[in-house]
Amino acid sequence: MDTQWSRWEVFKQDTPNKPHQAVGSVHAADPQHALLTARNVFARRPQAVSMWVVQADDIFSWTKEELAESKAHRAESFLALSPQPSPLSSYAVFRKTSHKRSMTFVDYVGEVKARSPEEALEQALATFTDTEALSWWIVPTDKVYRSDPSQETVESWFAPARDKTYKQQQYYATIGSHVSKHKTGRENDDEE
Amino acid sequence: MPAKYGVPSDADYNQRLAEFEARIHRGEKIEPGDWMPEEYRRQLIRMISQHAHSEVVGMLPEGAWITRAPTLKRKMILIAKVQDEAGHGQYLYHAAETLGVSREAMLEALLSGKAKYSSIFNYPTLTWADIGTIGWLVDGAAIKNQTMLAACSYGPYSRAMVRICAEETFHHKQGKEMVLLYAKGTPKQRQMAQDAINRWWWPALMMMGPHDADSPNSEVLTRWGIKTKSNDTVRQEFINEHAPEILEAGLTLPDPDLRYDEATGNWMHGPINWDEFWQVVKGNGPMNKERLEARRRAHDDGAWVREALEAYATRQTAVAV
Repeated sequence: MDTQWSRWEVFKQDTPNKPHQAVGSVHAADPQHALLTARNVFARRPQAVSMWVVQADDIFSWTKEELAESKAHRAESFLALSPQPSPLSSYAVFRKTSHKRSMTFVDYVGEVKARSPEEALEQALATFTDTEALSWWIVPTDKVYRSDPSQETVESWFAPARDKTYKQQQYYATIGSHVSKHKTGRENDDEE
Repeated sequence: MPAKYGVPSDADYNQRLAEFEARIHRGEKIEPGDWMPEEYRRQLIRMISQHAHSEVVGMLPEGAWITRAPTLKRKMILIAKVQDEAGHGQYLYHAAETLGVSREAMLEALLSGKAKYSSIFNYPTLTWADIGTIGWLVDGAAIKNQTMLAACSYGPYSRAMVRICAEETFHHKQGKEMVLLYAKGTPKQRQMAQDAINRWWWPALMMMGPHDADSPNSEVLTRWGIKTKSNDTVRQEFINEHAPEILEAGLTLPDPDLRYDEATGNWMHGPINWDEFWQVVKGNGPMNKERLEARRRAHDDGAWVREALEAYATRQTAVAV
């Protein structure tokens, strides 16, 4: 059986003022491959200005239900890596706060400093208290791989989706009207 | 780690099941990590993986027409649409993976012929008018089903559906536009459009699956909020939207029993040929073998790309160390 490599969770930022949001995952051999695949899979439409990828094993997740039961489940690879509490390090915190219909999962809310993912979760629970969270993701900050923020890369990665207007349903707005109103003749639509 | 997938023999099963069903009743989404009945998980893996396979195989009937698109604009649209289907397959495999099934296992099931996918893709695309008709009818039927599934109780599946519906509306519209243009075109174009509608109408109606009375999984799927509408309800929505539009375009539908029912506001259809449906499901459709062969060939032909990527990643790691 072929390997499909590791799974990487993908976070997309729609505009500079919005948080990175979990959109789904890709399989890839390394971080660069993961970012490139993430771009092809998740940025075929506007909007995007930046993408992050994190290997699935580096994500520590808790749902509200799990927290209530104090049965945190952890990525096993990390447990094996850190049997002792490590020195203070930085963790990226993501959370989901609504059951509303959405195409994204957890949003990035900020960073905390902690000695372990469990401690980072405690910090997050104490820090981000404005609204109740339904799911938390905690990721060591150095495990987050980011797309190149230079203007050149942002343009070449994300501008083409904006220009391909034929992927937008508004492009076909005229066919929303009653068909009897159509005066269009035979197809010669590439001369426009 | 305690088992998150409950079975009826668990001591606390009934209590947890009641809490789980109450959550669904309140409109909450079930997320990876939450407790769920093993049967809920099993049904979701079955549905989502079949759905993912359908997106992947769905590229084949249309992909074959990319080189033969009549204009540059139509070619760009078709490339974008086929690329979308590849992406939709990825979204759905991701959703299934959150339930603990591996990408490798799902791909293996598809390539070995063990897995099922939507039977609609086992019909041939004979003319360019089929491409428009697939967009209008096949994607139209898929969107009806997917809009229903976007409301489902499992978070990852619901989110994949919301994203897919947002993108797929363009597939539907470009197809409808093509067929309407042909319907107003030359006699040859009108004849091509009519012929394509004649061939795709019934298979499109079969896409929603057997009648409610013959759909064995429906009861549990409805109770747990996976399906929020029945097969026949979704089918009726599809017919009510598409039948009048097709007739309005001056085309006909291959159903002598089709009529508008004033009392219910529904377009009533004649009997569906379920023998044909089951024959295609069982692998005896016009294109089952060709589709699987094309999928395997694509996988094998891509082996060198996967090997190269892996070799590159290995070397980068070696350099880094």
